[in-house]
Amino acid sequence: MDDGWQDLIALTDLHRGWVTRATLGNRVLAVHDTPGGVYVTAALCTHGGADLCDGYFDGHLIECPLHQGAFDVRTGAPIGAPATRPLKTFAARVLNDRVQIRLT
Amino acid sequence: MAAPITTPLTQALAEQRLTRDELRALMQRRNGPALLRLAIWLVLVTATGSLIWLARDSWLIWPAMFLHGIVLVHHFSLQHERVHYTVFRTRWLNDLVGNICGLIIILPHQFFRYEHCDHHTHTQITGDDPEMVPMPRSWGQYLWYLSAIPYWRTKITELARHAAGRLTPAERRFTPRSAEAVVIREARLMVGAYAILFALMTTGGWWAPLWFWLIPLALGEPVMRFIRMTEHVGRPTVAQMCDNTRTNIVSLPWRFLCWNMNFHAEHHYVASVPFHALPRLHEKLRGHVHVEPGGYVGAHRDIVNQLRGHG
Repeated sequence: MDDGWQDLIALTDLHRGWVTRATLGNRVLAVHDTPGGVYVTAALCTHGGADLCDGYFDGHLIECPLHQGAFDVRTGAPIGAPATRPLKTFAARVLNDRVQIRLT
Repeated sequence: MAAPITTPLTQALAEQRLTRDELRALMQRRNGPALLRLAIWLVLVTATGSLIWLARDSWLIWPAMFLHGIVLVHHFSLQHERVHYTVFRTRWLNDLVGNICGLIIILPHQFFRYEHCDHHTHTQITGDDPEMVPMPRSWGQYLWYLSAIPYWRTKITELARHAAGRLTPAERRFTPRSAEAVVIREARLMVGAYAILFALMTTGGWWAPLWFWLIPLALGEPVMRFIRMTEHVGRPTVAQMCDNTRTNIVSLPWRFLCWNMNFHAEHHYVASVPFHALPRLHEKLRGHVHVEPGGYVGAHRDIVNQLRGHG
């Protein structure tokens, strides 16, 4: 750990081109393997609270499994109703084949 | 952040009825299967519409309009799939086709989407499920619902209310505040489109929409009410998805018309699974969801038996 970066998950444990659930302490996070790199967001939909890690993933889009509201995982922006509030995102990087995030 | 909730899918994964790899495979979306099915759909609509034209000078126009109406009311099934964004991989295509279907069956697409989301959250929970059709307590109630008169009364009142800029407290519960203006604008656009069409009909003497659209729609809607009743009516009013929803085994033509939504319990388990993968999901969830082997008629037999106190 340095400068607030914390180990989250090994690259080999990611579902390639899909979303993977990971935990850091009590925090449940969604790790998205996108064509543009790895992004990390909160795991729960801001609309109904369903687990986005059970949802459909396509490119940079994560879709809620309950109502199909959608978010852009790069920014957390809601891009499909009924999601209207942004998803929390976290700074992420890959170092030594591990995904690291900074919570601040 | 919202509090975590347990969805049927979360349960199915936890109970290992589905693996994540299976789920991922089932959820894959493609434009191809839907475009092919849509092309066949358009041929079918044209064919049944042509029957009305061919029968225009005889009493056979009435069965022709009924047949065409059965196809028209199944635009609900197309629209429903598009509400879930599962038909096309290209997301905006779902919105486009969904809005067209909504115009055809007089069901505003965006509002239906919000309402339907709440139906998936509170399926078959009395007082919370906005799409709940109550179990009829008399033959009168049963036949009244099947007439589609209460359905049309509700939907037309709803459209007029939204066009007037009003939503009920119950509708505000599931419509995000920021989307209220969208719902109102959508209703106004639809009412405007229908008003222009009506003006063309009355001033230009162009009555084709009446014979090819409105009368068939009215004749066909009781069939859609008959089908919609089979999804949840008569099932326990509980939150458990394995109990509160019916899957109906129906023949290929009906499956085509309803875009495989006869696999309704499976759809409620994993609403992100597209129509073409529902039969595979049905196999995976075999024994876990309630299946009515007698199809739509079997479901109504169950409803009628309960109505007669034999259920």
